[in-house]
Amino acid sequence: MAFELMAPLMFAMLAALLLLGYPVAFALAANGMLFAFVGFELGMLQPELLQALPQRLFGIMSNQLLIAIPFFTFMGIVLERTGMAEDLLDSIGQIFGPVRGGVAYAVIFVGALLAATTGVIAASVIAMGLISLPVMLRYGYDPRVASGVICASGTLAQIIPPSIVLIVLADVLGASVGDMYAGAVVPGLVLVGLMMGYILVVSVVKPGAVPALPPEARTLRGAALYRRALASMVPPLVLVFLVLGTIFLGIATPSEGGAMGAVGAIALALAKRRLTWALLRQAMDQTAKLTTFVMFILIGSTVFALVFRAVEGDLWVERLFGLVPGGAVGFLLVVNLIVFVLGFFIDFFEIAFILLPLLAPVVAKLGIDPVWFAVMIGLNMQTSFLTPPFGFALFYLRSVAPRTIATADIYRGIVPFVALQLLAVGLLFAFPGMTDLLDGERAKKIDVDKVEIRLEAPAEDRGADDKAEDDLQKALGGSAPPSGAPKEAPAPGKGAAPKSEEERAAEEIERQLGGRK
Amino acid sequence: MSTLLKLAALIDDLNGRVGRAVYWLVLVAVLVSASNAVARYGFNASSNAWLELQWYLFSAVFLLGAGYGLREGAHVRIDLIAGRLSRRTQAWIDVFGGVFMLLPAAAIILWFGWDAFAESWRQGEMSTDAGGLVRWPVKLLIPAGFALLILQGLAETIKRVAFLRGQYDWHPAGAAGDGAAPADTDS
Repeated sequence: MAFELMAPLMFAMLAALLLLGYPVAFALAANGMLFAFVGFELGMLQPELLQALPQRLFGIMSNQLLIAIPFFTFMGIVLERTGMAEDLLDSIGQIFGPVRGGVAYAVIFVGALLAATTGVIAASVIAMGLISLPVMLRYGYDPRVASGVICASGTLAQIIPPSIVLIVLADVLGASVGDMYAGAVVPGLVLVGLMMGYILVVSVVKPGAVPALPPEARTLRGAALYRRALASMVPPLVLVFLVLGTIFLGIATPSEGGAMGAVGAIALALAKRRLTWALLRQAMDQTAKLTTFVMFILIGSTVFALVFRAVEGDLWVERLFGLVPGGAVGFLLVVNLIVFVLGFFIDFFEIAFILLPLLAPVVAKLGIDPVWFAVMIGLNMQTSFLTPPFGFALFYLRSVAPRTIATADIYRGIVPFVALQLLAVGLLFAFPGMTDLLDGERAKKIDVDKVEIRLEAPAEDRGADDKAEDDLQKALGGSAPPSGAPKEAPAPGKGAAPKSEEERAAEEIERQLGGRK
Repeated sequence: MSTLLKLAALIDDLNGRVGRAVYWLVLVAVLVSASNAVARYGFNASSNAWLELQWYLFSAVFLLGAGYGLREGAHVRIDLIAGRLSRRTQAWIDVFGGVFMLLPAAAIILWFGWDAFAESWRQGEMSTDAGGLVRWPVKLLIPAGFALLILQGLAETIKRVAFLRGQYDWHPAGAAGDGAAPADTDS
């Protein structure tokens, strides 16, 4: 068997094994090992290859970024279990209620608040489905608008920090979590704005679909209502702003921030007199399970990536994307299309762990800012929760929605919101500066980097010369940095993809040779 | 079969106990990490041993919890096709996956992991950072965790085979159950 066939075969086999429906983590690992042994048998790979495994695993274990995952998860679950969603929906729903479309605005607002604090999509959608959906239906909301706005608001946790997805993407793409979080804030708020704008348009064009609540629907009013809203809103928000602020400013590492946030969440639960041993145990149990599942996919994808690189799968992927015309722009369009289509069938964790490690070297090579790229992909992946047949937000809502709402209504109601999310992706594409608004220092640094890197990957160079270029690069041993590779410490330095001196030198030589050809 | 089912029940019980013990380490890790942050910013004190303890604990959570996670169905699957198959076919897929994917892959990692641990133990390997921790305990977590995972893999396979023979009641996790955030769904 030809060596060049190994990578495509490995990829095809992975797709087949994943479709079987066996846990992704083990399918990834087993597929990697299978091809390692095929490679040994055919004399293509050295048996020492798999001996690198314990070291790789060890790198994952000692990765300071990933520790933030259980911390933020734990913080979110504790906050969620203190009844935050219920308190917020009750009070804010009544504040916005008298306005046309008011409950819908309240759902979006609360969705954004929950995203920044609890970050648990299932819990957000279910709470809003149980509390706000009946209210909206009772007072004559169009069931499609009502269910659409709930599902879409619930998924804001994907992109609004502190999102777990962004930690994973930071690790895969070799960027700092702080930069990711700072970069995601503005695009996340833009999306919130777009959703509110849509409700405003509906309330003007089709006022009957989003009526105002009649006075009798309000149990509280005046100062008492505002006091209740503030009491449920302010403490967790202050906590999250402290946590995120210290991370943005580079004072705390993500793991320190996450740990402080988790302690703060326990303190808030204690202050609300809702902290029980049962709550604590549930939170630890769920955190441990989520951590196990995320880390095991990461272990599986590491085994896969180790062997995939050994059979030069990274070069194969690079060559495939080299066929796409239009350089970085063409690459981004194709990648966004792939992510969107995959989102119909699989979730962000599979996309983040399987697809993105394959793309990371290409991203680095094209000189695309990893933070901008990650936030764009994160926004795009959010649609994976909303697109049938496997949109989990839809499942969660279906499980709590009254039978009077047809499943078809839920599916149709989500369409405008998916379109809004794609619009947000498009806006971010058109205005890359959005990710730098919170972090001017980074913006300057990136500009310098871009100027430097763009030289080496002029758009028109991709294409015919590509194979030669790749072969040359192979010969020079200067392939892009292994993205899945563990990083011992969080990258404190802000900026684009890490490149070693040798890699830069190799690319320099390659550029000169490529230019002459 | 009944002996095997008893074995499976024993393993279930073992990993249940380990899992419920290990999840306390989440809280311990939170407290250790928060104390480290306070010590660093409040008192300008920092200890490599305490910093390393964070990721020792973190590793213990997901490695020693591996068997428990498998038992609880925490791992995400792509049920695009599998979700529409009959329970029997899904059980067959799990048997196939257990025998040809999970068990061999975990056994290979256990094998190499044990070597790495033995080496570390022989050399008395220490952290390369000043005042860091001794390395063998954290290296032992790899073979220990994968051994627990292999045991649970055996137990799950036994339970699926028993189900296929009509001797055990088993229900696949629901479609909405094992998706984006499996931990969320029992809320």
